[in-house]
Amino acid sequence: MNAQVTVSLRSSPLSPPSQQPSQRSSLGGGARLVFEGVVRGQEAGRELRALAYQAYEPMTTRELRRLAEEVATAHGVLGVHVEHSVGTVPVGGVSFRLVILGKHRAEAIAACDAFIARMKQHVPLWKLPVWADADADSDGASNDDRPSDQPGG
Amino acid sequence: MTVRVLLFGPQAALAGASAVDVTVADAPTPTGLLAALSTQHPSLADSLGASRLAVNHEFADPASAIQPGDEVALIGMVSGG
Repeated sequence: MNAQVTVSLRSSPLSPPSQQPSQRSSLGGGARLVFEGVVRGQEAGRELRALAYQAYEPMTTRELRRLAEEVATAHGVLGVHVEHSVGTVPVGGVSFRLVILGKHRAEAIAACDAFIARMKQHVPLWKLPVWADADADSDGASNDDRPSDQPGG
Repeated sequence: MTVRVLLFGPQAALAGASAVDVTVADAPTPTGLLAALSTQHPSLADSLGASRLAVNHEFADPASAIQPGDEVALIGMVSGG
């Protein structure tokens, strides 16, 4: 059986989980794993106000879907549901949510870890820091010497 | 020919632009275009080792030929999540 896969990019911090039927454990599975990436308050010891996420559509959505399908097949899970923010997400906001449905916890946890590791290497999604001490007249997404290439979730 | 290369995230910040133009021989390979990009836009040079090119929204085969009108994007240092 093919796994259920959904991918959504949203132009704001993510709201609480949707609880759509496809994201419930209604496919015969016994494990529903929800991972949320939250914007940290600091990076490299410097206070952040937010992170600004950028995608390259339609390639970003296509690569997320391709990865979700590959991970679902490789780990034998029943569903993979991906939400990611684009634009500015303030500190404490949820920028990424991954819901994995599996028959058992082991494959769901393995699929979650595999998806995130590969997403950070292969899917065209970027973020830039918006520093707390940036000029209030700018958006704070600096062009200084410290571009962010570290995970924010 | 001149190829416009789209930039994103930290690499756009490094270059101070969302796209740069690169002058190359006709029908360059992605490998050749990356080499020319490094020479003509030194601010990006150190970041290119972890970068790939996408052509028309697909990761490009390093030996393929880029044609006039192709949409070329530099996909480097991805970090979503």
